[in-house]
Amino acid sequence: MPPPAVRRRSLLPLGLVLPASLALGLALGYPLVRQVVLSLQEFGLAQQFGQPPTWIGLGNYRELLGGDDLWPVVRRTVVFCFANAALTFGIGVGLALLMARMSRVVRVATQVGLLLAWAMPVVAAMTVFQFLFDRDYGVVNAALTGLGLDYDGHNWLIEPWSFFMVATIVVVWMSVPFVAFTVHASLTQVPEDVVEAAEIDGAGAWQRFVHVVLPSIRPVLVVVAMLQVIWDLRVFTQIYSLQRAGGTTDETHLLGTYIHALGIKGGDFGMASAAAMFMLALTVVLTAPYIVMMIKQEREH
Amino acid sequence: MNRREEAVRIQRTLAVAATVALLAVAGACGSEDSDDKASGGGPDKADLVVWINGTDTPQEARDWLKKTFEEQNPGSTLTIEQQEWEGLVERFTTALTSEDQAPDVVEVGNTQAPTFTTVGAFSDLTDDLDDLGGDDLLQGFVDGATIDGKTYAVPYYAGSTYVFYRKDLFKKAGITEVPTTMDEFVEAAGKLKAESGEKDFSGYWLPGKDWRDAAALLWNADGDFAVPDGDEWKGNLSSDESVAGLTAFQDLYESASGAAADANEADPVTPFCAGKIGMMSRPGWVYGMLTDKKSGCPDLAKQVGVFALPGDDGEPAPVLLGGSDIAIPAKSPNQDLARKALALMLSDDYQSILAKAGLTPAKESLASALGDDEFAQASIEAASNAKLTPAAANWATVEGKMILEDLFSQIAQGGDVEELAAEADETLTAELN
Repeated sequence: MPPPAVRRRSLLPLGLVLPASLALGLALGYPLVRQVVLSLQEFGLAQQFGQPPTWIGLGNYRELLGGDDLWPVVRRTVVFCFANAALTFGIGVGLALLMARMSRVVRVATQVGLLLAWAMPVVAAMTVFQFLFDRDYGVVNAALTGLGLDYDGHNWLIEPWSFFMVATIVVVWMSVPFVAFTVHASLTQVPEDVVEAAEIDGAGAWQRFVHVVLPSIRPVLVVVAMLQVIWDLRVFTQIYSLQRAGGTTDETHLLGTYIHALGIKGGDFGMASAAAMFMLALTVVLTAPYIVMMIKQEREH
Repeated sequence: MNRREEAVRIQRTLAVAATVALLAVAGACGSEDSDDKASGGGPDKADLVVWINGTDTPQEARDWLKKTFEEQNPGSTLTIEQQEWEGLVERFTTALTSEDQAPDVVEVGNTQAPTFTTVGAFSDLTDDLDDLGGDDLLQGFVDGATIDGKTYAVPYYAGSTYVFYRKDLFKKAGITEVPTTMDEFVEAAGKLKAESGEKDFSGYWLPGKDWRDAAALLWNADGDFAVPDGDEWKGNLSSDESVAGLTAFQDLYESASGAAADANEADPVTPFCAGKIGMMSRPGWVYGMLTDKKSGCPDLAKQVGVFALPGDDGEPAPVLLGGSDIAIPAKSPNQDLARKALALMLSDDYQSILAKAGLTPAKESLASALGDDEFAQASIEAASNAKLTPAAANWATVEGKMILEDLFSQIAQGGDVEELAAEADETLTAELN
């Protein structure tokens, strides 16, 4: 180690950090401040076109939290989020472990397939999935009917639970590749000599995985799981396009589409901002355990 | 117009011309894209963007507009950007508030217009009304876009849906005459469905979310969506008359429609060309889509006949008075040029092209351009008893939030009409006031 340099006050580091922090502060801070301000105002279409808004304090929050529209949406969002995050995580990690054992050719083929799913634009994917699950001309109904099941003219989107099942398939299909790639990359970083040593010491495959491999990829798993929860909490495009294809809009709102309906469709930006603040708080609460875990890990190292 | 006004107008024109000339000189000294805000009416050369919705406006009209505008305004261009009807309210809410994004001329559904006129999204067109056609313009549309004596949008075209039916299927089902009352109509729809024996066949194609066509059943029973209540609006779907109308919708859906209960009316061509439709209510221009060689099915389209949906009393049923307005977004930087484009869209030439395509022109004097075939007759008959949605300022947010789509879809799914109607009334009352 080099000897500690004599501390000299230099403005250079500050100067290097400042532009980036300013840009970040503006890009993240302005919308947030605006959102807080809006949530405290009566801000409708007329205000959007230039009328001065009125301040109503916590009026929007009272109406939002006191009404009976929000809570079913929150329940739905949380359940959908964790179901999707868990499925994605499980399938993604499983695939990553599998990939580590595949022959080169098969692995490359799998990776190309995953990459294609990952690279597919959401709207294009949604169009394809809508075709697949179409009531009259969909492949899924045709295939199930071909198997002798009574799925002729079955409407997949009309019942909320099967609407969300289709949404889950799309969301999981699109997010598995990220998990699989990231975890696979971290698996290649597990030092082989340690695993070998454990084997020599008589650890079985399962013991090696739990006690050697898992601890060394844990930081990656935590980050991936947290990102997945955040993404699945904010899911929007998939639900929005499925709502346009069918189903009952009011029964299939998740927080993202609910806020969109309040603001952009309904022209009540004050309420929409209040709901967005609520969603922000929810995200923080739900991801807090992961963040704590991450901070702990940092300390351990 | 009196002399003083004339003088003022000339002065103003001169002032604008002078400013424009100055700007042109200034522009020559470098700045290529001069969007100087000093000139109230905007630059004399610009690239105009016109938003037209859906496929209603025929290609011939679009080509004519672009060509004529660019000939008359050398140096300027006009681009038509086609928008989807679905989600239009959302796009207006975001795009019309920003000078960079606002197009220069927009088409807006006649029932959606009041929401945007009341908040100041459109420029005041009151002074231009006379030049655009004055009393010749469809008065109901002008009234709908007028607040406190100022008019912010002008009619583009009108059109109510009327019934398309398959003559061959009528014959097969033994229906010898076109229905003349609502009862006969419902009976014919059921017969066609029974004759086909197919689950996804529609004796009368009525997707569950198509409240615009289902409105005829509501109004036919003397019901309505909402009624004025002092200065406010009150949801009226749970009144006895409305419940009767909604129940009629539920019965008709169950007995005759093969369309999905959660589908909308956006694509009638696919099921029609698949032979899955006996009757359907569509605007006249849909016939053009059916006869199109590429996207339609000209052979099946030959079997199409049309009639206006009959009401209980044998007169045409009260169907929704559909149609569009055109307006100039207040934030458009090219106000003067936009007015020129708008004037072209209301010119006799342009409106006659629309009329030929089956759209009721915005000027009464051009009604004869519709022709006198059965399509024109059905169109005129259907419009004769047509009705508008409640004239509440917030109506567009009801459409934006899909409140009626949800309601009718749930009724089509077999839900309890009275319960659903009562819930919807609460939502409507909250949304409209």
